Amino acid sequence: MKEKTTVADIDRSRYDFRFEEDEKDFLGSGLTAEILDELSTEKNDPDWMRAFRQHSLEIYNKTKMVEWGPSIDELDVDKIVTYIRQKSRMNTDWNDVPDDIKKTFENLGIPQAERESLAGVGAQYDSELVYHNVRKEVAQSGVVYTDLESAMHDEKYSEIIKSHFMKLVPPTDHKFAALHGAVWSGGSFVYVPKGVKLEIPLQSYFRLNAKGAGQFEHTLIILEEDSYLHFIEGCSAPKYYEAGLHAGCVELFVGKNATLRYSTIENWSKNMYNLNTKRALVAQGGKVEWVSGSFGSHVSYLYPMSILNGEGARAEFTGITFAGEGQNLDTGAKIVHNAPNTSSYMNTKSISKSGGISTFRSAVVVKENAVGSKSSVNCESLMLDRISRSDTIPAMDIRTKYADIGHEAKIGRISDESVFYLMSRGISEQEARAMIVRGFADNVSKELPLEYAMEMNNLIGLEMHGSIG
Amino acid sequence: MSNVKLNTLPVPTYSWLGVNDTQRELDAFEQETVSLGGDRNIIDVSDSSAFEISAQGGENRLAVMYINSEKSAQIRTGVEVGESSAVKLVQVFEGKAQTVASVNAKLSDSAKFELVQLYLGTGDTVSEIDTELSGRKAEFTANIGYLLAGDDKLDINLIARHLGRKTKSSITAKGVMDGCSSKLFKGTIDFVNGSVGAVGSENEDVLLIGDKVINKTVPLILCAEEDVEGSHGASIGRVDEAHIFYMQSRGLPEEKVLDLMAQSKIAQIINTIGDEDTQKNINAKLGRGNEDE
Repeated sequence: MKEKTTVADIDRSRYDFRFEEDEKDFLGSGLTAEILDELSTEKNDPDWMRAFRQHSLEIYNKTKMVEWGPSIDELDVDKIVTYIRQKSRMNTDWNDVPDDIKKTFENLGIPQAERESLAGVGAQYDSELVYHNVRKEVAQSGVVYTDLESAMHDEKYSEIIKSHFMKLVPPTDHKFAALHGAVWSGGSFVYVPKGVKLEIPLQSYFRLNAKGAGQFEHTLIILEEDSYLHFIEGCSAPKYYEAGLHAGCVELFVGKNATLRYSTIENWSKNMYNLNTKRALVAQGGKVEWVSGSFGSHVSYLYPMSILNGEGARAEFTGITFAGEGQNLDTGAKIVHNAPNTSSYMNTKSISKSGGISTFRSAVVVKENAVGSKSSVNCESLMLDRISRSDTIPAMDIRTKYADIGHEAKIGRISDESVFYLMSRGISEQEARAMIVRGFADNVSKELPLEYAMEMNNLIGLEMHGSIG
Repeated sequence: MSNVKLNTLPVPTYSWLGVNDTQRELDAFEQETVSLGGDRNIIDVSDSSAFEISAQGGENRLAVMYINSEKSAQIRTGVEVGESSAVKLVQVFEGKAQTVASVNAKLSDSAKFELVQLYLGTGDTVSEIDTELSGRKAEFTANIGYLLAGDDKLDINLIARHLGRKTKSSITAKGVMDGCSSKLFKGTIDFVNGSVGAVGSENEDVLLIGDKVINKTVPLILCAEEDVEGSHGASIGRVDEAHIFYMQSRGLPEEKVLDLMAQSKIAQIINTIGDEDTQKNINAKLGRGNEDE
């Protein structure tokens, strides 16, 4: 009997280790003004931030849950631990990081990556940054890479933080943006001065270790005119039976003629609700490049948004989503053309297997003033069995006649014709089918940093026992 | 009158886009259903009406409706296509009042349903088409053309549900938007689990001419079956400047070039009707001669 080739589930053994937390370090679960006050005291918030948290809570309580997307009925925010006290102060020397935390990040390969290929690294464990370091020559060029809270308390940066924090993603944006505004903790602040082009990337890694907890880090990146940065973000958590929540927020300000490449590999465990919000504001001639791999989480809502606000601003989004058993991953991107001659390009792939649900959701909005703008969206979905699901939900809202907008989408299985063609060139059926699956993801994986591309190839491993179909 | 939610997107998306549904104030609908039983039915519709078209046992039916109401109207059409039978429904919307139209079709084994809709100055039209391809090898073709100008509003929600094996759907929309018209075209191909071997394609081609137009396009593919092929494409924008320049260099003013491009889009849809008299009649309404004349 012919045996089916199966595409393996993602191997999570590298991520599913954990250390016990001491529950006395938990700030009480649930959301009340008193708990937020305690959080503000714990973090020594300036007055404006203390008030901001309370105001966000008011918005959270008034805002309805979203009325579209995957169900989050099983997520009880009142049971989520919103803050876990740090075990030690933030360190710039790896040797000073507590042993269990150090071991966690060493298992994930973070210090090794820093030594070999990064200009700086930040590591967040549960609610707080535990390590942040940047190469001396990078710091000397004027680049600031530190944790957001230190920057907020530093008089050199406090005003810039105040004037940018949650201005792109206001707490009124949606319920989980309001939640983030109320309980955010940790995250990175990056500032790249005018004309500085950072040739090697910075990386932040977020690890949620505690059971039934949330992570609410805030990333704020500001690129001045003519600068360049590649920022890499990685996330993982061990698996628990209790639901975990990630409601981070990323705000990117890309200056005139600057370019920011923002790469993310999201590999949260399958008990996690990933309700993250990412947004970039791009000035004249600037460019934002999103590279996104979504492999983990039980439920994901993830749609990085690019607002092209200056003439000639550009956005590119390259993404891959792999939804396996028990996963409902709703991913995509949003682009707003809000200035003349702006352009955008979106290229996504999604794979569904073992009952996984993958949804591509996008919006391209071209405003009246965005004359001469162009946009192209291309999405492809591959179904690997009959018990999975794959939906494509793009939307276009075009308000000027001086625009050229194109959209293409395809959904299907591995084509018999392609297999036949490869076999006619002397390749075995098994290998032909395997090549097609690998090739499907190839143009996305080649956009990833090398080590992540290799990891992704390992994640999408093929078990060669016969033929797909 | 009551406020009614219409044209609900089968799977909702971002609320801020305002595409998940449409609301209108409507009177209670109390019309008796008129059965269109002839092989060739040509009717003028000037008031709220309900129709049913049924083709069984290999029958072929053509129904052409000229919908031109001077007051708010609701037009409902039920279509049932039996095994190896065929229905072609042509609807020409000409009215300037609020029109709410719906077509609900059910297709059996090897049934064919062809729908041609032309929106020629729509006022405010909300139109829903819901087709169930239940039978094996059932086929559904939709060709939709629109010429919008002034403050015309058009809202279309087209759903092709593939339930049967080897079913096929093909959706084509071509249109031109001038003035400050607005249009929302939602097209959904839904591959339900079990629709093995089904194929669905959808394409919209929109030419924007007016300075204040609002075009919204939402093409969905929903897929719960592995062995299917689905595709959609959309192209939205202006006439290529090189084309305009070429035509101008041949002595045609820009206005005439744009008119020709618009006529060509709608002509491609008119030509799918296949009924010579109907095509002549529509071309006459548009002030065009037949292409072979």
